[in-house]
Amino acid sequence: MKLVVAIVKPFKLDEVKEALRSIGVNGLTVTEAQGFGRQRGHTEVYRGAEYQVDFVPKVKVEVLTDEDGVQQVVDAILKSARTGKIGDGKIFVVPVEQTWRIRTGEMGPDAI
Amino acid sequence: MRSDVSPVTVTGAEAPVERLLRSLRSLEQAYSPGHHGRWSARRRSDLVDGAVRGLAQGLGPNVALVALGGYGRRQLCPRSDVDLMVLHPGEYPDAMFETASRVFYPFWDAGIPLGHAVRTVEESVATAGERVDALTALLDARLVSGDPELFGRLESELSRVVATDPAGLLERLRIAAAERRSVYGSCSQLIEPDLKESAGGLRDIHLFGWAGRILGAASLAELVHVGVVREREAAWLDGAEEFVVRLRSSLHLETRRRTDRVPLELQPRLAEAFGFDAVAGLAAADALMRTLFEHARAIEHVSHTFLDRAAAKLGGPTTHLEVERPIGPEEVLRAFARMAETDTPLGPESLDAVEDALLGVPRWTDGMREAFLSILHAGAGGARALETMDRTGLLSRFLPEWEAVRCRPQRDPYHRFSVDVHLLRTVAGVVGILAGESGDDPLATEAAGAIGDRDAVVLGALLHDIGKVGEGSHVPKGVEVAASVLSRMGVPDPTAASALFLVQEHLLLSDTATRRDSSDQNLVLDVAARVQDPERLAMLYVLTAADARATGPHAWTGWRQALVRELVSKVERVLQKHEMGPDRAVLLALRLDEVGALLGGANPQDVETYLARLPRPYLLATEPAAVVRDFPLVAPPLGASEVRTRAGVGEREGTYEVTVVVRDRPGLLSLIAGALAVGGMNILSARAFTTEDGVALDLFVVEPAFRGEIDEERWRRFRTNLRRALEGRISLDHKIREKRGHYPSPTADVPVQVAVDNGTSDFYTVVEVSAPDRIGLLFDLARAFHDLRLDVHLAVVATYGVRVVDAFYVRDLIGEKVVEPDRIAAIEAAIEERLAAKSP
Repeated sequence: MKLVVAIVKPFKLDEVKEALRSIGVNGLTVTEAQGFGRQRGHTEVYRGAEYQVDFVPKVKVEVLTDEDGVQQVVDAILKSARTGKIGDGKIFVVPVEQTWRIRTGEMGPDAI
Repeated sequence: MRSDVSPVTVTGAEAPVERLLRSLRSLEQAYSPGHHGRWSARRRSDLVDGAVRGLAQGLGPNVALVALGGYGRRQLCPRSDVDLMVLHPGEYPDAMFETASRVFYPFWDAGIPLGHAVRTVEESVATAGERVDALTALLDARLVSGDPELFGRLESELSRVVATDPAGLLERLRIAAAERRSVYGSCSQLIEPDLKESAGGLRDIHLFGWAGRILGAASLAELVHVGVVREREAAWLDGAEEFVVRLRSSLHLETRRRTDRVPLELQPRLAEAFGFDAVAGLAAADALMRTLFEHARAIEHVSHTFLDRAAAKLGGPTTHLEVERPIGPEEVLRAFARMAETDTPLGPESLDAVEDALLGVPRWTDGMREAFLSILHAGAGGARALETMDRTGLLSRFLPEWEAVRCRPQRDPYHRFSVDVHLLRTVAGVVGILAGESGDDPLATEAAGAIGDRDAVVLGALLHDIGKVGEGSHVPKGVEVAASVLSRMGVPDPTAASALFLVQEHLLLSDTATRRDSSDQNLVLDVAARVQDPERLAMLYVLTAADARATGPHAWTGWRQALVRELVSKVERVLQKHEMGPDRAVLLALRLDEVGALLGGANPQDVETYLARLPRPYLLATEPAAVVRDFPLVAPPLGASEVRTRAGVGEREGTYEVTVVVRDRPGLLSLIAGALAVGGMNILSARAFTTEDGVALDLFVVEPAFRGEIDEERWRRFRTNLRRALEGRISLDHKIREKRGHYPSPTADVPVQVAVDNGTSDFYTVVEVSAPDRIGLLFDLARAFHDLRLDVHLAVVATYGVRVVDAFYVRDLIGEKVVEPDRIAAIEAAIEERLAAKSP
């Protein structure tokens, strides 16, 4: 099992969610996240006063999938989250040791 | 089955408890779950008394069984704890424990929650001195069985303690109430309130008994007589207590547990048990909670004012305002305005007077409006005045529209408060920001400074969710209701118009910032077109911040703030630079309408998509008829190397206007400019636009390099050249050098100047180039940008005789402005080098 973790632009969340649903993903976790990458922060100007923005708001999407599904999930996110501009985000795939469904106690692939 | 067993038998103490259990079951079944009120609670307590007395038979002398807390007050809900104390004189403690267990164990064995204590009179009083909950439990003490003399000693010791420092005890009760409020919140403000501990819950009702004891009043009626509770307040409390006890009892019966929190999932069942029906726009569960909120508000408000008055009675400073009877609606509002300004409550008689002053909906006068606005503006004192107006029913009398949102629960992940509480909290938030209290949000402070019409913002805050009445989308409904409120109050324009704008657009910033791409220039311009001026933008930001903070602790996160601020600063800049403003917004709306109407024959879906895609600067700069003519060029899907052109006669004689539509790619402008130059055309001006989905829409004004007409044959050759250049099959560079050989070199005394400006646009770096005119100049410049890996989004070319001034709006290939000094220097160097290159 793998956990696909994607950091995407907030306004892309709906598209990513739809793309994942269309390939049969029926569960995901969404977290409001802030951070910076190569983009760093930026400065905003309002009425002549400058404000330093160190952390850029993003959305973190996490999807649990079996090994076979990883590429499909990654492709769906790549396609739906892309604008071509800076700050489109990142995708990480990390191994998952074990999974339990709390209600039933099922584990492994059955618990996805 | 064992009903024949005598309650007093030698075989043991079990029988009284079994009998109790049977009686409790009968009591439970005697009424439906929603109808166990105070009578039932008292009956339950009496049944427990019977069992305790039965068990106490045979206990020795010099011992008393004393009921404490709710049991002491003879009010036990179905699963309430039974608090029983064994009072003893301090001798033979071992024997005492043994006798105590004869009473306690049967209760525990039967599963009845019995809280126990074994104390002497001195221990009891000492504990009460240490802990306020022990003190209040003792204030409710009642002898159930045993030595009346011993209990009498406890009573007189307690009376002595109370008499020693009544004001101090009252203060302890007040502090405890404040602590409860901060831990458990306010019953009328939570969607899952705690019926016992939350402010406005049962504890606040018990407070009257405890404080009454301190004041020497044995009942609510006596408190009324003493003048610390108004008669109508006592009536509110009576109704409220009955309701809350019934709700708590049904909660115990439904859950079979001792719980006081009303969980969301249980509310529909409780509503059914109480017989609440869904009505238009209000679910049954909401109707239940709304009724609870109304009662809880009454309890909280009356207990609060009662404590103030009681403290004054005990020698504290008397601080309340009085008004003279008879008074009319205007004097009522002025009285509340004074209350708000001085943050001093109205006295009991004055409250009676203001409540009696209004019959029906009053007609608003200028004086009333002024007084009401000053209440809204008055910060904390204003909030308390509005609260009093609400509790006394006056707010809904002045503004009948308020009644529909009053106590209306909201069920979504963000909102914690009922609609009306949320509205009042938003007003308080706006007033705070306007006063410069915006915490760690410097943007809010700036915005507050930009707002001249403060009445508009507080009115917008007061009314922004007034449309939440359960009838579909709340925004259009809210505008309708707000318009009627504002006209009832006689609020003049432009204040009324701005307030309505705020009601209409209060979700604009938050929704757009979280769901749309703020780096999309069209989006920013469209938001700017809806806002139209910087003051309204500032109002909208202040309302957005106050609205979110008044929603709950999770609505105005740093995450959301960062997104909203980014949008606000972009919209602000667009407005400041007059890229959008009232005139342009009107023009843009007009253009969109006109073009939409002119395209009436086309598929509406296609027209809508077309209008959404068109860059706003293009729409603003182009006549509707031309936009319509460009529709067939832009709307249909475009092939990779497809070139579409439309040419017409220009405004000036001998000039032509040409639109070129090609799929955008790096270096495109240079290819088009090159192909035009190769076709023998001088470029007089160029405007390059790009849709967000990557279609280049470039508009040129050209003239033939030689006199004569440009016929369709030449346009066809131009298209062919451009297509071949796009496909990489010909070199325009080479062809232009050839062409240049036929013309004189540019005048040498016009210097090349390059200026890079990042202050003009939020989205692009603007590069301004002043240079001598020559064949293919735009081709060269555009080529230089391509080599620098910069994308030209807009190019404005102006020719002044031999000198050309071109402004290029560029950004890099990942859509960012160029801000690093070394990259800026590279731009300047590359352009100068390119233009200095000798023509071959």
